[in-house]
Amino acid sequence: MSSSDADIQNIDRLIHEPSRLTIMMHLYVVESADFQFLQNQTGMTPGNLSSHLRKLEDAGYVEITKEFVDRTPHTALKLTRKGRDAFKEYRRNVKRFIEKLPE
Amino acid sequence: MTKQNTLREIEKKAYMSYHQDGLLDMVIGLYALSFGLGIVADKILDFSFAAIMPGILIAIVLPIWIQAKRKITMPRIGFVNFGTRGSNKLFAIFLGLMVAGLGVFFVFTLASVQNGRPVWIETVFQYGMIVIGLGSAIIASLFAYTMGLKRLYGYGLLTFVLFASGHFLGVPFEYLLLTIGSVIIASVAALLVQFIRRYPLPKGAQDNVVQ
Repeated sequence: MSSSDADIQNIDRLIHEPSRLTIMMHLYVVESADFQFLQNQTGMTPGNLSSHLRKLEDAGYVEITKEFVDRTPHTALKLTRKGRDAFKEYRRNVKRFIEKLPE
Repeated sequence: MTKQNTLREIEKKAYMSYHQDGLLDMVIGLYALSFGLGIVADKILDFSFAAIMPGILIAIVLPIWIQAKRKITMPRIGFVNFGTRGSNKLFAIFLGLMVAGLGVFFVFTLASVQNGRPVWIETVFQYGMIVIGLGSAIIASLFAYTMGLKRLYGYGLLTFVLFASGHFLGVPFEYLLLTIGSVIIASVAALLVQFIRRYPLPKGAQDNVVQ
């Protein structure tokens, strides 16, 4: 196995999916956001966003807190430490792989 | 575009969308208006309103801003917490401005005490309105650059042009402040209407809770 093959094997497939990558990128640049804000920023449908968030939560990358603010249901979303580290690692691996690609 | 740039763009987009409601401008406009009115009241009633205005404004304007953000912005675009990165930059600017302000005050006082108002200080006072306009434009530009809000450059330019014109046309300081405050408040109204039209209140449940 060549080193570039090894690099691509190291890329986190859970993050690599475009919708989940978009979610991770948007949560990476903030401390926390709610569902509505993330939906506005990503342009994803509620169902789509919800299903990808569930997968990221199951992996321990996103922390989802449900609460009531002014009697309105509110879902707060935040990248966990594990999620931040995984995203950093993903960026490193993708960068390394792309650098090794021939022109 | 590199991934680093993409992340910066995303951060900037999130920040700008949170401030496109114009409520931050409302705070700036109300400050300018209140100071202008304070100085006018000083002259009419012979009571130093301008001196107590900063305290009154903090007690009134900030709660208005917080409530407006909760009632207008959050139900429409949601809530975001940017953490300490953005506020650290703003804090650095505030600190830098305070140090610069103290430095200018110190240099002026020292020069006045030692030499009894040298010529260069007289020149600064002579062109005081232009200096204030230029200083305000620089401060507005610093905030515009740090926060990525381009309209703050516009306010800075407006302030400089008005103060420079005011110097040559002999318009009193307080009227310039009232003009700047009024223009900013008018632009806030336009921004707010634009924001409310762009983001109508979602019907039914406002939150799609992840099951």
